Amino acid sequence: MKNLSFTRISIWIYLAVFFAYLLGPLIIMSATAFNSPSFPRMTPWECLTFEWFSALFQDERILNGIWNSILVGAGTVVLSVAMGLAGALMLTQIWPKLRATYYTIIIAPILIPGVVIGISTLVFWDRINRMLGLGADSFLSNGLFLTVIGQSTFIASYCMLVLVARLQRYDVALTEAALDLGATHAQAFRKVLLPFMRPAIASAAVLAFLASFENYNTTTFTFGEYPTLTIELAQKVRYGITPAISALAFIIVVLTVFAALANEASIRRKELVAMARKKATVEELESGKLRLPGFLSSNSAAVALVVVACATVAVAGTAAVYSPQQCIAEVQEQKRLETEQRIQELRRQRELRRQEQQQQQGETAPQAQPSGNNSGFGGVFNPGNLSGDSSSGEDASPTEEPPAGNNSGFGGVFNPGNLSGGDGGGSDN
Amino acid sequence: MPVFLKEFFKRNGTGMGSLMLALVLFWTIGLIILPQLSMLDFSFRPNLPPPEIGGPKDVYTLENYKYLIYGPEGGSQDYNAVDLKVFFRTLVAAVCVTIFNLILCYPIAYYLAQTKGNHIRIFALMLIIPYWINEILRAFALRIIFGETGVLNNALVGLGIFDTPFDFIRNDIALYAGLGYAYILLMIFPIYNVIESLDRNQIEAARDMGASWVKIHQRVVIPYAKPGISSGCTMVFMLSAGALAAPQILGGPSSLWFTQLIYQQFNDNSDWPQGAAYAVVLLVTCILLVLAVMRLFKVNMGDIGK
Repeated sequence: MKNLSFTRISIWIYLAVFFAYLLGPLIIMSATAFNSPSFPRMTPWECLTFEWFSALFQDERILNGIWNSILVGAGTVVLSVAMGLAGALMLTQIWPKLRATYYTIIIAPILIPGVVIGISTLVFWDRINRMLGLGADSFLSNGLFLTVIGQSTFIASYCMLVLVARLQRYDVALTEAALDLGATHAQAFRKVLLPFMRPAIASAAVLAFLASFENYNTTTFTFGEYPTLTIELAQKVRYGITPAISALAFIIVVLTVFAALANEASIRRKELVAMARKKATVEELESGKLRLPGFLSSNSAAVALVVVACATVAVAGTAAVYSPQQCIAEVQEQKRLETEQRIQELRRQRELRRQEQQQQQGETAPQAQPSGNNSGFGGVFNPGNLSGDSSSGEDASPTEEPPAGNNSGFGGVFNPGNLSGGDGGGSDN
Repeated sequence: MPVFLKEFFKRNGTGMGSLMLALVLFWTIGLIILPQLSMLDFSFRPNLPPPEIGGPKDVYTLENYKYLIYGPEGGSQDYNAVDLKVFFRTLVAAVCVTIFNLILCYPIAYYLAQTKGNHIRIFALMLIIPYWINEILRAFALRIIFGETGVLNNALVGLGIFDTPFDFIRNDIALYAGLGYAYILLMIFPIYNVIESLDRNQIEAARDMGASWVKIHQRVVIPYAKPGISSGCTMVFMLSAGALAAPQILGGPSSLWFTQLIYQQFNDNSDWPQGAAYAVVLLVTCILLVLAVMRLFKVNMGDIGK
């Protein structure tokens, strides 16, 4: 028994560590969207701010990227669901000897690295374009076309897998019955097979859109003049990161949680309704007096959904009236004071050192020179690290310039570096 | 018309049948086979300006592959040490990431598959949500954590474990964590699917016979879950060897991933044939490696993707 509880505890610890690894980064990233430093960070926490969200919505390139992503996503969903459905139907009918080969071919794009798919798409359509004698601005070398084609190559495989799973439960006799009753092939497809496949087609479409929306490896070779959101994000993240990206991430996280909870709640609701129907007596069913369970009763996902929705509304409401200016000003004031304090401390130390040096110079002049040099360096580096730190430096500098004492303080720091540090200090500054 | 085609059209009708056939042919031949062959062909050609393509200079050559092994002609070194080192480092690191993911995910997959209850659904949701977030944003989140003034360094220095911030990015720890992070779901899902269909009675029978916990996994669960494990490992390995976003964002300034070399050949050097040759080398090596490992563990190709 004791042994069992030990395993239980270790399982729970393991699960906790695992989910911390899985969810921790997302939570921390979301938190940085509300912190005021211009470099995304959670510690030290300075001020609650919503300015990164407005910065995000003013960013033309991000908005344009979202639009392009939607265009590409729509194209990819249509093409890859169509190809996936055709591929799945073909898999059930193909000549048995060809089946294994055919399956390998249509499953291969999942395993081929996205980079390779991007390159091969680019190279192949470029060649077709040249063979047809078209110019560089033709439809075939258009970024939208290439991206949709490249992404569909492997997203269709995902769709095919989803659709095949459902198709395996389809009874072909249904189609045959429809044909016997005089339906055309197109009618049988539209009125019998398609309604049966609808749930699978819907989930394949959602999957395809999400896969297209977040694809980077393939798109980075094919996007041309139509950078998608992912491409824009990658550019931004590679060349300097701001909390505006965290803000976007936060929005995506919230949307995802919403979608997941809504899906979960509706599944649970259907289960509950089905259960209530089963329990109901014939009389209740006939009189139409059957009381269905309420939307929120014993449905934890629905409760969570409502809570998240309320929280979102509350946060948005706060954002509309809240202004972080006061807090930011206070933090900057505090930083300025700290910097000044440090500078004065440094000055005092330097004074002391100079006095020591002067005393020592009287005794052993040649030895004192290098040691004085070293400590001079230390003095230069300290404030550089503290105030030149990418976040606080950018934040603090506008307000720090006006006070006169501060200016001279900076001068005081850098001057002695030049004087005592000689060429070394000079090159560092 | 061959018999099976006639049969096919009779079954599906001429209109629907040809639409279906057209879509499948476009996908398999136009999108999968021909582009790959075209890339292969392209990798054997010299890098020419557009007007000269198809001209007398456009002949097959092994130059691009030689470049990977021997470096630029007349170079000071016998071998292209830089690119080869990046290549092998990528493969070794991808294998390490795969093993790390397998060790991390197997217990979770087993636990999820063998436990019943409402909290399992919540765990599944928590697993899927990170996977819906953009790949770039996931890498970005890890960069915030592993940065020099990031949360992790602040915590470690604050607790007194390190005196100075540790550079996780330069030491590639951030990169490996990011790659492992990105593909957790792809490892868990196939293993979960297989273990879920394992009859619990088998495990209980083994336990009744006195098998230890380790023995049960070694003799009952793992042999049964082999197809799932191998398809998870294959996917994680292929995807991490072919990853581009995570190395670009989380990689140190001095260390490159092989896909980054390909990207550079295409975008910075405009040497498409060279990039295509590198891509072919990456693809072929990865496939051969996967096939070799699958043969070693006696798994069939048909089990992948189920």
